[in-house]
Amino acid sequence: MRFSALLRKELRECLPWMLLAAIAFLALGGFFLRAKAYYEGDRLYSRLSPGTIVDHYQLTFYPTLNFTGPWFFCLSIGLGLVLGIRQFWIPHFTRTWPFLLHRSISRKSILAAKLSAALIACVISMGSVWVGLYWYANRPEVFPIPQTVRVFIEGWIFIMLGLVVYLGTALSGLSTANWYTTKIFGLVFATFIIVTTLSQWTLVGIFAVIAVSVAVLLVQIFDTFLRREY
Amino acid sequence: MTLWIQILPGSGEPIYVQVAEQISKAIARGELSKGDKLPAVRKLASELVINPNTVARAYSRLEQAGLVTTKTGSGTFVADPKLRKTDAADINILNERMDTLISRGLNLGIEAQDLIRLFESRLKKFSDKLNERKEEK
Amino acid sequence: MNEIVLETKGLTKYYGSTLAVDHMDLQIPRGCICGFVGRNGAGKTTAIKLMLGLLNPTAGSSRLLGCDSSALTPAIRQRIGYVTEGHRLFRWMSIGGLETFQRAFFPKQWDDKFFADMIEYFELSKKQKIKHLSNGQRAQVSLALALAPNPELLIMDDPTLGLDAAIRRQFLEGMIELIMRQGRTVLFSSHILGDVERVSDRIVVIDKGVLRANCSLEQFQKAIKKAILSFADSVPDQVNIDGLLQCKRSEKGLELTLVGTDDEKISEWAKSAGAENYNIVQMNLEDQFIEFTAPANHKRLFQWEER
Repeated sequence: MRFSALLRKELRECLPWMLLAAIAFLALGGFFLRAKAYYEGDRLYSRLSPGTIVDHYQLTFYPTLNFTGPWFFCLSIGLGLVLGIRQFWIPHFTRTWPFLLHRSISRKSILAAKLSAALIACVISMGSVWVGLYWYANRPEVFPIPQTVRVFIEGWIFIMLGLVVYLGTALSGLSTANWYTTKIFGLVFATFIIVTTLSQWTLVGIFAVIAVSVAVLLVQIFDTFLRREY
Repeated sequence: MTLWIQILPGSGEPIYVQVAEQISKAIARGELSKGDKLPAVRKLASELVINPNTVARAYSRLEQAGLVTTKTGSGTFVADPKLRKTDAADINILNERMDTLISRGLNLGIEAQDLIRLFESRLKKFSDKLNERKEEK
Repeated sequence: MNEIVLETKGLTKYYGSTLAVDHMDLQIPRGCICGFVGRNGAGKTTAIKLMLGLLNPTAGSSRLLGCDSSALTPAIRQRIGYVTEGHRLFRWMSIGGLETFQRAFFPKQWDDKFFADMIEYFELSKKQKIKHLSNGQRAQVSLALALAPNPELLIMDDPTLGLDAAIRRQFLEGMIELIMRQGRTVLFSSHILGDVERVSDRIVVIDKGVLRANCSLEQFQKAIKKAILSFADSVPDQVNIDGLLQCKRSEKGLELTLVGTDDEKISEWAKSAGAENYNIVQMNLEDQFIEFTAPANHKRLFQWEER
């Protein structure tokens, strides 16, 4: 009952940003789908061997939902950043930490409620739009050649990167060190992870980087939060 | 029974003394007479917005002066005036108060004889009121 | 003997190199209203946050209702009401939403009717959002949220700062109402010494992070007094009397503020110093506090001088 009250409150605070990101993604992704824009030279997918009998017309439509990539990436990162700020920076400015933290529930659970809410927000908002776009793009009248599973997985990688940024922002918000030194560590680390991820060639490599970074950030976040320095 | 007490925090006089003094004035003026029940400690504390312990201390100060008696379970009642005891400390306070009065009067240029007359007329007012109340009863 | 509900031992907190709380040893018994007074920045809020386990001490320890502050269990937190500094609540929530939120943490203790009555008395509506409320109204909501769960220990951090007299009075009424229930204790910090004088049993004075006084209000008020001495000839240069806080000289007199000095000692010293006359004056609480926390022999900001 207590945890659900906390979770409800945290989700309600994430809601406007969830909706904003989802609507923006839907609008941009949907617009491009409907316009049947084409994106040439998708280097990850130029595996079509030269002798394949593929209609040139179809070829120009083959590159996939990857054209939504830049938007998806920006919105995911943006959502992660905003949620991190909303949950961990705003309470400092509005001085509402004392009101939130003196509760008949463990401090760990309060943190868990925040993290769960952000996870749910990112997955539901960006994830459901992504699933919708993927399903729609797979309809034969939209694209003659079906999308690959890899494209689908890549979408989820963007969502996970958004969560990495969220965790980095959260860590920065919780750090009580001076601004110019350790405080910014979380954000810098998240940026580093994004760059590292995007330079990986294999999916396994990407997942490994993300998993390790999430683990590191979570440990740091719990440690800082439970140390009660604010 | 209308008991009206005004608290002045910041006057330098402890609040329990203020409460006790005003109740004892009311008794002297005959507004409260023998056997009258004082308000319950909690009721007075709630009305005056002061700590109940302060009210309790005021009541026990009055009890020590012999002005009231407390019966556990029933409350605090105004005591029989004949059973009041005065000791040296009470007389000291009386002397202090009279000194204040006298110095004020003399500073105003009032002659000693006039001061005595003033005092007597005020005393008469009190005892008149007391007699009125006795007759009412 | 009264049980101790709040206890600190050597409680210390450094913010970088700034000492906010300096080895505080405090015990507060059950059933009292304890006024926490100190100048701005004396360390009252930091001390309260340390006691509630919201901050980690640099050294020392603190116990609330018998439990260490760094490990307050949810069960213990349920018995403690807290009115935070500035009454900061979630701005986007409505009063009703806050009630639902708060009530979830006090499943068996929440008094629905009490909360509803208070909100009605304050002429507020449960639909109103916190961001649309004035400071005073937000304070009223904060008070209702803290009192409705009927807490055993109520801690209020400067609850009446910046509030009008009517709302201040409501807070005092709330405190008195709570203290009359069995076994309740209230700790509140305040700058308004008139309020402290009205409702407190005990007073705790904190100055620059150091605990300067921890006693019953009556003891504090009796202990600090002014002695005014007049001299026929010259006023002595050296004033060495126990418990001297402040000393003001004039042409023919001395005004001494003393703490804990017996009337007999004063009269002895007055005789030995050759005073013609002396008078012992009871001070009001605000003056007592100001002189108690002022640096020794401090000068006034604006000193009237003969021209």
